Amino acid sequence: MNILSVKNLSKTYPNFVLDNISFDLPQSKIMGLIGVNGAGKTTTLKSMLNLVNPDSGRIEMFGKTFIENEESCKQEIGVVFGGTYFFNHKKLKSITAVTKRFYKNWDDKAYEKYMKAFSLTEDKRLKELSSGMKVKYMLALALSHKARLLILDEPTSGLDPVSRDDILGLLVNLVKTKDISVLFSTHITSDLEKCADHITYIKDGKLLISASKPEFIKSFDHLKEQKDKGDLTLEEIMIRTERSNYDI
Amino acid sequence: MIYNLLHKELRLAAHPNLFVFILLGVLVIVPAYPYGVVFLFGCLGPYITFMYGRETNDIYYTSLLPVKKADTVKAKCLLMVLSQITQLLISLPFAILRVHILPDGNPVGIEANVAFYGFGLIIYSVFNLILLTQFFKTGYKVGKAFIVASIPILFLIIAMEVIVHFPNYKWLDSTSPDMMLRQVPVLILGIIIYILGMLAAYKISANRFQKVDL
Repeated sequence: MNILSVKNLSKTYPNFVLDNISFDLPQSKIMGLIGVNGAGKTTTLKSMLNLVNPDSGRIEMFGKTFIENEESCKQEIGVVFGGTYFFNHKKLKSITAVTKRFYKNWDDKAYEKYMKAFSLTEDKRLKELSSGMKVKYMLALALSHKARLLILDEPTSGLDPVSRDDILGLLVNLVKTKDISVLFSTHITSDLEKCADHITYIKDGKLLISASKPEFIKSFDHLKEQKDKGDLTLEEIMIRTERSNYDI
Repeated sequence: MIYNLLHKELRLAAHPNLFVFILLGVLVIVPAYPYGVVFLFGCLGPYITFMYGRETNDIYYTSLLPVKKADTVKAKCLLMVLSQITQLLISLPFAILRVHILPDGNPVGIEANVAFYGFGLIIYSVFNLILLTQFFKTGYKVGKAFIVASIPILFLIIAMEVIVHFPNYKWLDSTSPDMMLRQVPVLILGIIIYILGMLAAYKISANRFQKVDL
């Protein structure tokens, strides 16, 4: 069963077009949405969530049309936009106290458990947390209202390798133990090597391919050069696909 | 849901100055003072909160909660109504008190009487309608929205303060019970305009915000 289905999503800006993006995320899987900076990853995620008004497209979440069931769908998702955080000067306990009121399935015990597991202190202000800890706090909020789908926009960008590995390990663990599905955008290919089951690749606003990781890698065999023995790595695929030839 | 949205506004979104400006309703006890300034503070509070909201990504936060996009607008409308009405309610006992301790009246401009509150609601209605509808065209251009909203309300405040100096309108400047009874239609008009203004502000702003790409 697909937990998320995106069909023919398009959005036109004066200098950018997101063109006919379609992909499906099966339940309990991690999908990486990749592309270079400016490829349209964030626009895709924002259009899915009605933060941006798409020109066309249909989003289904948990088998329901998102736009017609926005409130109930949002009850079951957790969203983290890496680098965009709210109320930096407020204490975590204030943000939590406000946020929890909006969720029917909020679980105080689970929240305490995650805060402890992530070594987060409620008396700290958001601005006092490191980037990695901020992502973890957002995940703690999402998990405490029992989100079934996590939508993460570049959650690992700007993090050191240890924090990145920590977050990715956490995502893998959540998918295994909590039956959660994850869609996360990134331009860091090593993130995908570590945890993605499926990969959706966007280039210049267009969908190149959306497939399981082995299929994805196979589909880029035509990029292989004579020296390449085995499969291409995701980094090689991305670099060879995006490489510019400057004639200056 | 409305209670949750208001709770969010008061606990996270409101700038501390908003609460200070609400308390400035007590200025009607100052012996000689242009009481129209009270309404200026009532407009400044929401403006500063809107600026603060831009800094704290408040609109982003609300849009990601399990609420409709229009509820982001509703939250701001509710906060404005709550802050302005609370400010006027706080000023009421001081307006009554001044009649007894300062019987000579206010030589500067209008008295804190029934008409004053009616004018205040009209001023707030005009400000809210312009600020909200302008701001929610973009969700971030609050400075421009404030300037556009400030110009008419400055004229309205000046007009209110000046008109009571003309002999024909002296009845608007009185705190005697019979004159205040004559002023009641101004208050009723103010209440009607405030309610209709806020409803229009919400409807127009929600429609405009729906089209905004965050």
